[in-house]
Amino acid sequence: MKTASKHILIAAATVAALMAGTAGTLMAQQKPVIATVVKISGIPWFDRMNTGVVAYQKANPDVVATQSGPATADAAQQLQIIQDLVAKGVNALAVVPMDPAVIEGTLKRAMDRGIVVVTHEADNQKNTQADVEAFDNADYGTALNARLAECMGNKGKWTTFVGSLGSRTHLQWVGAGEANAKKHPDMQLVDPNNESFDDANATYEKAKEILRKHPDIKGFQTSAGNDVLGVGRAIDEAGLSGKICLVGTGLPNPSADLLESGAITAIGFWDPQKAGMAMNAVAKLLLEKKPVTDGMDLGVEGYSKVTVKKGAGEGMLIVGNGMVLADKATYKQHMF
Amino acid sequence: MSPTQLEELQQATPVRPPFSLAELVRKRPETITFTILVGICIAVSIANPAFLQPSTLIDIGRASVVMGLFALGVFIILAAGGIDVSFTAIAAFTMYSMTVLVQSYFPGMPIAVILLLATGGGALLGVINGLLVHHLKVPSLIVTIGTQYLFRGFLLSFIGTVWIMSLPPQMGAFGRLPLLQFESANGATITLPFYFLVLPIAAVITWWILNRTLMGRAIFAVGGNANIASRLGYDLRKVHVFLFGYAGALAGLAGIIHVCANRQANPFDLVGTEINVIAAVVLGGAKITGGTGTVLGTMLGVLLIVVINSVLVLVGIPSTWQRLVVGVFILLAAAFFVTRQRKK
Repeated sequence: MKTASKHILIAAATVAALMAGTAGTLMAQQKPVIATVVKISGIPWFDRMNTGVVAYQKANPDVVATQSGPATADAAQQLQIIQDLVAKGVNALAVVPMDPAVIEGTLKRAMDRGIVVVTHEADNQKNTQADVEAFDNADYGTALNARLAECMGNKGKWTTFVGSLGSRTHLQWVGAGEANAKKHPDMQLVDPNNESFDDANATYEKAKEILRKHPDIKGFQTSAGNDVLGVGRAIDEAGLSGKICLVGTGLPNPSADLLESGAITAIGFWDPQKAGMAMNAVAKLLLEKKPVTDGMDLGVEGYSKVTVKKGAGEGMLIVGNGMVLADKATYKQHMF
Repeated sequence: MSPTQLEELQQATPVRPPFSLAELVRKRPETITFTILVGICIAVSIANPAFLQPSTLIDIGRASVVMGLFALGVFIILAAGGIDVSFTAIAAFTMYSMTVLVQSYFPGMPIAVILLLATGGGALLGVINGLLVHHLKVPSLIVTIGTQYLFRGFLLSFIGTVWIMSLPPQMGAFGRLPLLQFESANGATITLPFYFLVLPIAAVITWWILNRTLMGRAIFAVGGNANIASRLGYDLRKVHVFLFGYAGALAGLAGIIHVCANRQANPFDLVGTEINVIAAVVLGGAKITGGTGTVLGTMLGVLLIVVINSVLVLVGIPSTWQRLVVGVFILLAAAFFVTRQRKK
């Protein structure tokens, strides 16, 4: 009996010592933690962003940079992850919101606790200190349409696809595209703003229908990442590659086959790797209480001369020049 | 029996009851589906004569394959009084796992084996559903909501989340294999793919099972009243395992066809489309409470949903209105159905 209690005592002492030890290491780790939270983890886009976070960590050993996100595209799950991180006491949050409105309250509470909050792809987020955008949405839409117009020879019927009518950025892109097309009176917009729901198959069916209704259509400008794949497949299967122009947001790796076959004229995108690095760079500046000024170089490619404006709320809106337009000849430089 | 009575009887037999629409509708509810379908087609052709061209028919046929296979599975479970919402997860699971398997381990596997294995894999997952429904004695809706999460979670956690954009060549070739091909006026190639044949074949097999086998009788009996069916000697366990296994097999087949046709395997795909499929089956005349319905009606329901979804641009309904219109159509058809069926 006596020995048993002794054993227990020793065990308890060991556990206590171990716990003290862990607490000690935790206390010793005074490096600020910057937690990046993405919309969905595991999809190519945010895997690419993760490489940026990892690269940033390597280049800046004086901070701890991590990335996490929900397994499905679910705003509620993302909210849960942010709340957990706030409870854990991270120093900075770099969030790519699924739905900015859902996380407003939590981000406000985080800022009240002194946590630095940076967002991306959410220029309407109110409770953020800085929202980082890769480019000006109007400029991007104009650039896509200019490429489309060039391919179409500035004339003919064309149409637009958006992920959904609730997607603000997509509507900004096609809106700017329409404004650009007005410069060319022979370009005629038909049945605009088709919803694709970012589903390649649904987009394919819809593109087929448009090809049937307008056999003389000459151009498509698309917005969600999968739209070029759906429309591209419809053009490819109809044997119209090269006869119909298709310019839209897309990723180089998935679009490679259709770019090669000529079904996709050009894809536009921004590199999530650089966006992840830029968010972390801004978070670090804010942690160090350094100012972010107009024309500043964040030390990340595409963010070398950022524009700083007032954001939707108290914070600022930082706009980079990270737009990339790639076609058959150039897409291989950006394989992800 | 007096001669007069006999005379009366003889007279009565040949006189058929007057043709009644209500009677026809009650006996064969799919006539409503058919009427609505024809009505929509006529209205659309008037609104835009571009609808009347062979490519429309081919596009609709092609678009119905995956949904049609799903719907047959849902229908057979609905006929037995159950419901399944896990079939899209089964399809996503088998199609993605098969693609990974072929791509990384057996690049030379012939397409016939791929289709068979996908069907078998789907059946296996379906059997899990069937066993759970039978042994847990929980409504199949709850069980299949659970397994939907389970299958999808397993797929995304352990098998992969990366999109496969370059399919193994034999799968891509199967997706492109033409059954019928011609060129339209503007030089576009119009193709009815070979895989379209799978749907009529599956429909005939399903019809045969339901109408010509003991299992078919058992399914409708269980759908009518499971307790009585079991007292009559039908083995409920066998029926449940068969039902869900068969629906799983169809889902597995639909999944692999979806991949071949789409030329990409996206593990996040398909899940979320189950409501459309269930709507199609119900619009085809199957009662959600079970015991009724026909394969023909199910196919008409699928066509109805596919046609509604694929004429909106043609008619010129702006994007903002499309969901509204689809919703109204489904509600109208369903309301029409229920009121007609009640008038017995």
